[in-house]
Amino acid sequence: MIKTAISDFKRSKVRTFLTALGITIGVLSVVMLIALGLGLKNYLKEQFENLGANLVMILPGSGFGGGGGSGSFGAGLVTGTKFDEADIASLRRIPNLKYTVPLYFSSTLIETEKEKKGGYLMGVNEEHFELMNAKLIKGEVFSKSEVQARAKVAVLGYTLADDLFDQAEDGVGKIIRFENSRFKVIGVLEKTGDREQDTSVIIPYKTTFGAINPDKTFWAIYMGVESENDVPDVKKKAEEILLKKYDKEDFSVTEQSELLSTVNQIFNIVNGVLVAIGSISLLVGGIGIMNIMYATVNERTKEVGIRRAVGATEKDILKQFMVEAVVLSLLGGLIGLILASLMVLVIRIFFPASISLFAVIITLAISSGIGIFFGVFPARRAAKLPPIEAIRYE
Amino acid sequence: MIKLQDVCKSYFLGDEEVKAVCHISLEIKNKEYVSILGSSGCGKSTLMYLIGLLERPTAGKISLEGQDVSSLSDEELSKFRNHHVGFVFQSFNLLARYSVIENILLPTKYAKENLDFNPVERAEEFLKKFGIYERRNFFPNKISGGQQQRVAIARALIMNPKVILADEPTGNLDTKTGNEILDLLENLNKEFGVTIILVTHEKDVARRTKRQIYMRDGQMVDKY
Repeated sequence: MIKTAISDFKRSKVRTFLTALGITIGVLSVVMLIALGLGLKNYLKEQFENLGANLVMILPGSGFGGGGGSGSFGAGLVTGTKFDEADIASLRRIPNLKYTVPLYFSSTLIETEKEKKGGYLMGVNEEHFELMNAKLIKGEVFSKSEVQARAKVAVLGYTLADDLFDQAEDGVGKIIRFENSRFKVIGVLEKTGDREQDTSVIIPYKTTFGAINPDKTFWAIYMGVESENDVPDVKKKAEEILLKKYDKEDFSVTEQSELLSTVNQIFNIVNGVLVAIGSISLLVGGIGIMNIMYATVNERTKEVGIRRAVGATEKDILKQFMVEAVVLSLLGGLIGLILASLMVLVIRIFFPASISLFAVIITLAISSGIGIFFGVFPARRAAKLPPIEAIRYE
Repeated sequence: MIKLQDVCKSYFLGDEEVKAVCHISLEIKNKEYVSILGSSGCGKSTLMYLIGLLERPTAGKISLEGQDVSSLSDEELSKFRNHHVGFVFQSFNLLARYSVIENILLPTKYAKENLDFNPVERAEEFLKKFGIYERRNFFPNKISGGQQQRVAIARALIMNPKVILADEPTGNLDTKTGNEILDLLENLNKEFGVTIILVTHEKDVARRTKRQIYMRDGQMVDKY
């Protein structure tokens, strides 16, 4: 049956192509919209992962936006608990931890020979750069031994470097001054889009011990967890450890993925809307198939008559036209899918669009569904043609 | 044996009832070679289609091989046509998008049971017998009218039917080719013992058959 349908299509290539085209475009637009929607979601997820999707933050105060800490680096608002090196050592014992980064944070005034600029001072360890996925445009970041040796080295955020020097990358190798000390710039980071990060000067946390940070305390501790699945466990253990030393209201343990799941929810809705829009073009494609199938039935009235004369039942004729409609729309769907895959391959070069198995299955199911739905009316009409009139039809 | 008892067939044109054939009673025995003769519009084709089970009578009874077929379902009628009846038409009615051999094999595609013969071998046998074997992969528009009618006859014969119904089979052919087709039909009647019912308006054609049935205004008459 399917073989007959396909060999019939080979005999009328242009008509087949044009009929299938409607479905092809419909499927193409649905798959592309889903792919782009997924791409947008992936893109945002990547952005979050740059910040560390598996990031657990220990902040002073009782939580996000409350107490002493705001979600981002709330400059100068450091109140409540301050953490110390002993806390870092205890937290490091939690299993499945990849990074543990202490964060000293304040605002400062940075000077070169020519310029003077306000910025943020961040004291961290060497793991900070990996945890934040920081990328250098020039130079290098400091090492563990430089942290231990309290080296007077600094890594500059892009905006700060750009303000201080003619070109951001010119900063590498230069000497800058802040908090009454001279520091050598060893690296300049890429622009991240985060204002605080981009206007920060980052130095080893141990270097702050002394004049800058006599108490040897930190504003926050950031932890990078091996995998997303371990996040709840790590959160729980961190709370247990800190509760031994601090009151419940003095600190909070939050995770980035709480935010991520909200974003995911939003994008599921956006995706649904995109699919609904794309489905309209699929519907139009389906009506195109029905239209052509009706024309085909008229055009093939005599053929139906001949087939009936040699012994085809009404059912046989119905089946023949149905199979043709379904094969046609599946064919169109498949071509649309292939075209969409090619387009997504190209788009992927600059945007993380992707085709999900779900999209493939749903579009193929929908296109064969369209074939059945829009094929059944013309097919019934063909089957119900009185054989005698059909055979006399010219 | 084909038996018609008081068979009528009428159509509705708007509200008006048009009687195509009426009160036809006749018997055609197996292996007969009969013609139905009449001028155009006399209802002879309708009669043929009634015998060929493409039409149902509005009144009367038709029986084939002793079985009443007036009340069979579409499926049963189709099966009957497939196995017992072969049609040959004036305008050949081959499927243009199918090759000669595919056209001949068409009825075998609608056989619901396993066939007791090899369809391709049997089709090739006919092609050779009718002298069109070299044309087996041609499309109908690439062969002559006489050849097309031979293909149509091969298609009618492929299922080994008891009866062949030929509606003006020579109507679209010149006299010489027409005679060749009539020779062929006569031969089939002799050689295979297949009943042939020939519908025509030409006395010369009808004269070649052993029995003539005359029709006028939807009725059987004694003389043309």
